[in-house]
Amino acid sequence: MGSSAKRKKEKQKDFQKPKLRVGKTKAKPDNFTDTSFRSKAEENTAITLNQQSLHVAAPSSTSQFAHHLSLLSAKSDSQRRESLAHLTTSIASRPVNSPLPQPVGVMLPSLLPLILDANNTVRTQLLKLLRALPEPEMEDQVAQLLPYVRAGMTHLAADIRMSAVEVLSWMVETAGESVVTCAGGWIKTLNCFLSVLGWHTEESARWSSHRASFGKSGSQGRPMVKVLAALALFLDAGVGQPVLYESENLSDTEDGAASWPFPLCQTAHHMVTESAAPYAYLNLFGQPRDEEGEMYETREDRYRVFETRFLPAVERGLKSAREEGGELGRASSGVTKVLKEAISYGPGP
Amino acid sequence: MVKRKLGALEKVEADLANLVFARLRSYIEDFRAQHYQYESHREIFMAAPTSATDTGIISLRDLIDFISHVADCYPEILKDFPQQLIDMLMQHHLVLEPDLREKLVGSLVLLKKKDLLDSATLLHTLFPILISTPSKTLRAFIFQKILSELRNANSKTTNHKLNRTMQTVLFNLVTSDRTSSKGVWAIKLTRELWKRQIWTDAKAVEVMKEANLSENEKVIIGGVRFFLGGDKEREEMEDESSDEDAVNPGRVKHQLTINKKTRKNSRAAEKALATIKKKERKKTQPHLLNFSALHLLHDPQGFADSLFSKHLQNTKSKLNLEHKLQVLQLVSRLVGLHKLHIMPLYSYFQKFLTPRQPSVTSFLASLAQASHDLVPPDVLSPLVQKIANEFVSEASAGEVATAGLNAIREICARQPLAIEETLLQDLVMYKKSKDKGVMMASKGLLGLYRDVGAQMLRKRDRGKEASMGLRAGGKQEKRFGQQELGGIEGLDLLEKFKEEERRKKREEKGLPSDAEDDEDENEDDDWAAWNVEDDEDSDDSGDWVNVQSDVEIDLSDSDDENNAPPSKKPKSAEDEAKPNAETDQEANISKLATTRILTPADLAKLAELRTQASVDALIPGSKSRRAGQSSTARHTDDPLTAEEIEGLAALSAGKATREERIAHAKEGKPDRSEHKSREAKRKERKQEQGKSTTNKEKARRKNFLMTLGKAKSKNKRSLVETRAVLKAHHDRRKRGGKRGNAGT
Repeated sequence: MGSSAKRKKEKQKDFQKPKLRVGKTKAKPDNFTDTSFRSKAEENTAITLNQQSLHVAAPSSTSQFAHHLSLLSAKSDSQRRESLAHLTTSIASRPVNSPLPQPVGVMLPSLLPLILDANNTVRTQLLKLLRALPEPEMEDQVAQLLPYVRAGMTHLAADIRMSAVEVLSWMVETAGESVVTCAGGWIKTLNCFLSVLGWHTEESARWSSHRASFGKSGSQGRPMVKVLAALALFLDAGVGQPVLYESENLSDTEDGAASWPFPLCQTAHHMVTESAAPYAYLNLFGQPRDEEGEMYETREDRYRVFETRFLPAVERGLKSAREEGGELGRASSGVTKVLKEAISYGPGP
Repeated sequence: MVKRKLGALEKVEADLANLVFARLRSYIEDFRAQHYQYESHREIFMAAPTSATDTGIISLRDLIDFISHVADCYPEILKDFPQQLIDMLMQHHLVLEPDLREKLVGSLVLLKKKDLLDSATLLHTLFPILISTPSKTLRAFIFQKILSELRNANSKTTNHKLNRTMQTVLFNLVTSDRTSSKGVWAIKLTRELWKRQIWTDAKAVEVMKEANLSENEKVIIGGVRFFLGGDKEREEMEDESSDEDAVNPGRVKHQLTINKKTRKNSRAAEKALATIKKKERKKTQPHLLNFSALHLLHDPQGFADSLFSKHLQNTKSKLNLEHKLQVLQLVSRLVGLHKLHIMPLYSYFQKFLTPRQPSVTSFLASLAQASHDLVPPDVLSPLVQKIANEFVSEASAGEVATAGLNAIREICARQPLAIEETLLQDLVMYKKSKDKGVMMASKGLLGLYRDVGAQMLRKRDRGKEASMGLRAGGKQEKRFGQQELGGIEGLDLLEKFKEEERRKKREEKGLPSDAEDDEDENEDDDWAAWNVEDDEDSDDSGDWVNVQSDVEIDLSDSDDENNAPPSKKPKSAEDEAKPNAETDQEANISKLATTRILTPADLAKLAELRTQASVDALIPGSKSRRAGQSSTARHTDDPLTAEEIEGLAALSAGKATREERIAHAKEGKPDRSEHKSREAKRKERKQEQGKSTTNKEKARRKNFLMTLGKAKSKNKRSLVETRAVLKAHHDRRKRGGKRGNAGT
């Protein structure tokens, strides 16, 4: 069988040479690999390795900043945290009075979702970064921040709620006035406070009701203390005695009067205000707002709303907190003090 | 790390939904927190709808899902929740991510189910998105939701209000912008609902009618297809649903007694019995009378006119030939069905009637469909002449001549005056053709004219019956516009049946006695008895019945005694009635219906006979088929197809595949399973019934290796052992098996 004619012919085939033809290129072998293609990137730079271009020069600090900003949406926790840390140090260590590497408005959209981040360390790092941001610039960004903070305050996970409250108290400290005046900032945020504290309805405010129903929080007392402190700050900013602001305003007008020549008086009131969005209350381009999403710009408005909608619930909650005693009771006294001042001041002069 | 946490939180939320259902009041605080969460996420989303919504652990989608599931528990907190979802969907459906989009649609449907949203609002939300979204998956999803919503709304009783608003929306969609292809959705929806018999009214047909007159090709063809095939689809759907799964109630009950009693089994049995009961109830319900779409058309003349002038006559119409043919088919069906007059239609046909025209058989079929007995012969005869000249000649191919002859026959079946005498006689000569198709077609034409106009044929072609009829003067040529007297279909069958019955009875009684003499008396007795047993509902006065019984008996008499001696005839009461009855079938038929009250039993029998006749007509070789030509057997609603025009040529090797030919050959034959031995059939039947095989079979099937040991040991048996075994075998045989059924 092995020595058949067919077999022989097959063997012969291996030794046959391909015919060469005049005017044609040499035939390619069977296992020829075409390597003629070159990518454009390869032509420009020195080496291309796995789509990552290596440059001879070190990246500039601004490009590094932008890179880390883009890494904020990375999948791994540690990556996000490290990027945040890098951003914080680069902001904090920049020369005094020099501008930020990127404007706050550009940075915020990638920062904000991190308020709801699952990882604890990421959130604490985020708070550090926020604290590092220049305070005057925050006033205009508050409206952007607040929905995320509110979402955090009603989150299922207890630690996310707590860090959201921390962010809120930082916001009130830096830009209290704009927090309570911006659209939805007053009613909605107060609602969130009540739901975090569980003070909405009569039965849920009782001490026997299970307050740990949503999310599991290890230490019951500590977080509540923090929330109460934040509430005190918030109420103070919203309906506290406006002495401070009055005097500021006064000094402002005085300054203005001084700058205007004699026949003009109180001209400053007729000028366009210098805030970023002076006509925001007209809501020209946004969604129509309901009562909850409305802007309450004066203390008078805020107090009226507070008195009708929240005062009974807050008083009831404070009472039960005081009765609970301990650290919580002590913390509640801070809120009580603010509340008393507000009530004594009343709806306004 | 993150993943584990996420799972845990999702679980919390899922639990929360269940907890909320269980204890409404105590979970209100938690629910409120979730609602705020949703509100703030919504705010974030509305500020930037394009950016990713999957922020952190919980996404907006999950929140919407949760809230819509428990929405009915807290109506006061959620009073504007549906509106928010609607706004979100309506404003941003173009940029939403697909998952969220579908979740929104699904949640809206869920809210509708919980009665937090009414059907009309839901449909008004979904429908604009259906016709405007570019996403195919979303369209499919929404279409299905709309359909199921409409079905649900109409499941208990017909929701007229909703149907009317929806139909108005569809109507406006079709009529508002005639050039856009959005009307396709109106067509799809209407067709689907028509198929399921949810919409069966004229308004739905009106929507389709408007679609036909649109300017978009897709919409036009969709509409035309609906009119040509929608009703058939509906019938098929009905058949399908009626014979879904036949469950034998006896078997179900029996199995329930035998099998192990589990909850699952009993539930299955209950379900089966419930379906049976439901089916029974359905059977007893009065059958819904559904008109076909073509009959529900308002102003068919105007519709056909505008269809013709817009799509066919108009030289600027963009339809291609295939689509034009479909439109033509529709127009011609309308003309034939409603007997409309569109004179330019016939001259339009003129230029297409050449053998070289692509798909000319469809044109021929349409022409035949478009002719009816109120079309003036002057209009049709040039067309017939042209067909004869172009198609039918000795030189032309067999298929061509067949098609021409068949077309002429179909036209003439509808308008016998369309052909001239000489032409007819020429065409009839083709019955001697060598080509089988041509020969059959020509004979068909001949047979037709023996029925409808025998005097136009040459004398030797007329045949026995026709020439006898002509001589008696019964078969008059119908004149233009002459209408036949109406009758009840199948009444003659009923009468024949009754006659048979009576004859049988008479023979039973009459044979022992002298049949010839006492026949009248017998008949009277018969009549009385028959009257009592059959007419349950008639308590009429006796003499009224008697008078008319005389007539009937006389008629039967005359039929009966065709071979009886003529001396009997003068005995009967009315002599003059007889020749009339013999010659004129019409009078005979009408008498039964007008002089007798047809009992329900009669009507049932009538229906039965009618179906029997139609089945008989389908079975090849039966006499009724040869007698009744295809034109008479066909219902007026059925379309005439190109295949019928092509005749035998459709079967020829070049055109049909093998499968088609086999299918055609099998057509009409009763179902036949493949050939098998009786044993194999028996085995199959046993297996079907879930029974086991015989011992013999088991022994034969047994694995060889298993039998080996016994076979070996058999060799080693001692004589005594062998004897014992044989004895035992013998005994068993005698007893009749191991258990023995012979002894006792």
